[in-house]
Amino acid sequence: MTSGFLRALWRLCSVQGAWNYERMTGVGMGHAAEPLLEDLKSADPARHAEASVRSAEYFNSHPYLAGLALGALVRAEYDLIPGAQISRLRAALTSPLGALGDRLFWAGVVPTAIGLAIMGVVAGYGLWTIAVVLLLYNGLRIATGVWALRTGLASGARVGAAIGESWLPGAANQAGVVAGLFVGLALPLAADWLLDPQGLAAVGVAVVTLLAGLGAAWRLGPRITAVKFGLIAIGLALILAWGLP
Amino acid sequence: MSGLSGMTFALLCAWGALTGMDLVTFPQALLSRPLIACAGAGVILGDVATGLRVGVLLELFALDVLPVGASRYPDYGPGAVAAVVLASGGPWVEHLGIAALFALGLAVVGGWSLLWIRRVNGRMIQQAAAGLAAGDPGTIARVQHRGLAGDLIRSLGLTAIALLLAQALHPVLPGGPRFALVTAAAVGAGVAAAAGGAIRAAGRGARLRWLVVGTGIGLIAAVLT
Repeated sequence: MTSGFLRALWRLCSVQGAWNYERMTGVGMGHAAEPLLEDLKSADPARHAEASVRSAEYFNSHPYLAGLALGALVRAEYDLIPGAQISRLRAALTSPLGALGDRLFWAGVVPTAIGLAIMGVVAGYGLWTIAVVLLLYNGLRIATGVWALRTGLASGARVGAAIGESWLPGAANQAGVVAGLFVGLALPLAADWLLDPQGLAAVGVAVVTLLAGLGAAWRLGPRITAVKFGLIAIGLALILAWGLP
Repeated sequence: MSGLSGMTFALLCAWGALTGMDLVTFPQALLSRPLIACAGAGVILGDVATGLRVGVLLELFALDVLPVGASRYPDYGPGAVAAVVLASGGPWVEHLGIAALFALGLAVVGGWSLLWIRRVNGRMIQQAAAGLAAGDPGTIARVQHRGLAGDLIRSLGLTAIALLLAQALHPVLPGGPRFALVTAAAVGAGVAAAAGGAIRAAGRGARLRWLVVGTGIGLIAAVLT
């Protein structure tokens, strides 16, 4: 791996550093592209200037998969593909990379990792569980980042086909199923662990609150978020507890 | 734990700031999850057990959240760190629910502060429009670094305020067995949040089937252990 590749990889870790509503992660992508575009600076200064402008334009995707787009767009600049075509490629990659990354990581790997961590903590492995989960998660995240940037750089404008033929779509489909299993396993164990030293009255209060929460979610849908319901339920319980003799 | 030493306060501020940044800007390494944030705070405070209890409870609420792109979502990290300070040094069964209420309130404030920093970044982009339009690498780097610095300041400020609040509230926390019912309500609300989110995310396919299988096995294990 060249120094430019490693610097780009490092900068991709903060690709959302200047996230904003105008360019979203565009500036972060421009910052990460700079080490990879250095060779173009001496070979074709005019093209480098154009490439730098394009590199920081509007972009958004899942941050862990941004390397796929970054590599592909940089490779396209070296391949001297027309600028308008590169801008279209940039726009075309936004939604698929966002959707794939959200399904794979936010809705799959993260809940799985947290489910595992909760089970380990409940089983008494405490900080060891946290350390192992952090190592495994970040190992996967770094490996994905290296693969993404390499694949993007290798495939250029053909990155769409490379993604389609890769492990990514299949993994994104399966990750949610695994997450469902581990979140399902973790919930009763977490509740049991947190309520364990308390009596039947506490279990009764927890069950009533759980049923009220599920009822509220069913009736009100996304209007009642987890945080809102938590604030209302715990706040009411606190007021009631204060009033008890 | 009301009387934090200067060093402990500084370490908690640094850890809370890192968990706050981790949510969006850097390094997005799972540190912003309440369980990880609280475990770290527990290590710093020398009260890992309380850190893990608070972390598992808050994680039930956080499992409902997908931190997707431009959407608004709570920032749990800084408040979770301070919630461990609030819950530690006393009977956790009585203080856990109150600590969760405190952390959820701060998570909402953290979510608002994310919207604020996005607007600040937007104004910075407009001010740097000429340099960005020219593709000047120096301008791009400056905007990026200022964005990161802004989020560091946001997270650090949020953590410091949360810690000061926790220190002020700790001595006046209500106690007694009846406050264990607040903890029980918090557990019920957390499970409802996590289950509601899991069912919503599962849809009607294989994920829902495996969620049911997992819940069934988890229930059996909880009863048997």
